[in-house]
Formats: sequence, C-alpha cells, structure tokens
Amino acid sequence: MKHARTASLFVLSAIVASASLLAASGCGTVNTTSTRTAPADSAIDAKTRVNDLFQEIFLSAKEVRMNRTKGGPMEVQVDVENNGFSYRTFAYRFDWVDASGNVLQSQTSVWKSTNVPSGGSTVIRSVAPTDAAADFRLQIRRADT
Amino acid sequence: MRTTTIAASLSLAVLALAACERARYVETGSPEGIISVNDVDFQDILKASSGMLESLGETGVLKTAKHKPAQLIIGDVVNDTSSRFDVGELTYRMREQLVNSGQAAVVTTFGNTPEDKQAQEVLRREKFLKGETAEPLPDPDFSLTGKITQVKRTAGDTKQATYTFRLTLTNLRTGMEAWTKTVDMTKLGNRNAVGF
Repeated sequence: MKHARTASLFVLSAIVASASLLAASGCGTVNTTSTRTAPADSAIDAKTRVNDLFQEIFLSAKEVRMNRTKGGPMEVQVDVENNGFSYRTFAYRFDWVDASGNVLQSQTSVWKSTNVPSGGSTVIRSVAPTDAAADFRLQIRRADT
Repeated sequence: MRTTTIAASLSLAVLALAACERARYVETGSPEGIISVNDVDFQDILKASSGMLESLGETGVLKTAKHKPAQLIIGDVVNDTSSRFDVGELTYRMREQLVNSGQAAVVTTFGNTPEDKQAQEVLRREKFLKGETAEPLPDPDFSLTGKITQVKRTAGDTKQATYTFRLTLTNLRTGMEAWTKTVDMTKLGNRNAVGF
C-alpha cells in the first residue's frame, strides 16, 4: 500500500515537472516567418573564432551584410538568432578597420547590449566612422543569465 | 571540537572573501559596469553618442554644407531627466569624432554667449585693426540642439525607466531641420546591479 502511494506520488511529480518545463519553454518564445529563402545580395562570408561554446550553440550570426550608406560610410548588419530555450542578453561591439587593416579609433566603437527571445532573432548594425573604413570586427559576449 | 572551530572559521573567511569585491579598473562603457535603473549611466551616454554619430554619417547631412568641413555651432542640449549628469559628456564625444575626422568644424566664437569669448575678442580686434566694420565672425552652416527625456513606470517593486536622447541639426541658411535622431534606452529592475 505504501509502495503504491509512493509510485503515484512519483508519477504526479513527473507530470507537474514536465508541464512546468513545457510552460517555461513556451513562455516568451518567438516564432518567425520570413519570405526570404536565399542570402541577401549584399551578404558576405564571415569567420568566427569561438571561445564560448554555449554562445556559439545558442546565439549564432546567421547572415552578415555590408552596404555603402547614402552618406558614404559602410554599414554592416548582422542577423543574430537565439536557438536556446531562454531569453538571451548579450553585448556586442563593432570595430572598423581601414583598407590596410588598421583599427580606426572611434566614438562609435562602444559596447551595446541587447536581448533576443527564445527562437527569435535581432539585427545588430553599425555604421563606419569615416568613408575610409573598409572592413569590421565584431565581438559578442553573452550575459550569464 | 577544535577542528570544527577551525573549519567553521575558514569557511566564514572564504565566504567573506567571496562577498566583498575589490575595486578594479574596467573598460569605460563596458557591459561589466554598474547598471542603474533610475539613472543615466555612462554606458548610456556612450551608446547615445555612438547612435547619433552613426546616423549623422549614414545620412551624409554634413556633406551638404556650404563649407567643407561643415561649420557647426553646438546649441543647448537640455537634460530633462531626474538623473544628474553633464550633457557635455554626450556632445564632446560627438565633437571629438566629427572635428578630428574632418567632417565638421565647431564654431566656438559665435553669438552673444560664445564658447570661447577670448577668441571672439581677438577676432573682433583683428577686424578692427584692419579697419573693417562688419562682424568678422564665422558663418556656420548648422546648429545642434537637443533634449534628453525620461518616462518612468513601476509595477510592484519593479521599476522601468526609458531615457530618450534626441538631437536636431538645423540648417542655418534655411532655418529648417536638416537631421534629427532619437536614441532610446530602457532599463528594468528593482535595484541597481553590476553588469555582466
């Protein structure tokens, strides 16, 4: 009798735990619909050096685009997707470099924070400080939470 | 008994060490910095300044000026928030980049309350010695003005504050607004915290 009661208590706990998990994973999760199936014309190849494996798994840069703005300097847009089950907060910083690869000192190269809901994506962007900027470097660091 | 006492003391010492954080240098504007719910933090000013400069660059408005580089006067930027900070932290960062990169020249000798009164006097004296009577002062293309506002809300213990930085560039030849930009920052929480 005591054994049967323990077993039913265990099953009940398992059901409650599963329901909580399902509710938690669904809370704030974003479903995204897009008509675009191919990379944008301005999409470019980029390489990433991974130091934080969890960041690579849950936060990923899906597409990198570079364009020249109306005013002259280059603009970069990076689509960042959150494939994890929770809200992700991260900070990012763009540094611009000239054609020789030298970093251009700029007041626009500052750390900015943003967050992405589970399953969602965000576009982080930066405009080069001068027309001389030819390329960029992006650093991303995630919050622990 | 003695062993237990030593172990307990050691544990307490370790806990105390873990609890106190020693002062250290962090990169200015780093996400590691303190985040205040009810105040504008330095990171916020840097982000706002960066957003404004990016917008100025991408629109190319300064390139439309008569002068090359564009001549700019820095007008009033009003801090209409409950947070105390010098708005010069915002405008000087913008000036630094615009002037040092050759995109703009800031006129500091214009008007009745010039930024550099002494330089204005020198200009006037030079003009006087040459026998010229017209005002010798520069002929600026744009004037930069702005405002920083806040919207605060609470729900129970949770506070939310949105700080909006807005700047406007007026074309002094037409009197019309040539560029405007707002940068918003929203912070939510029930107490200040150290970043990540």
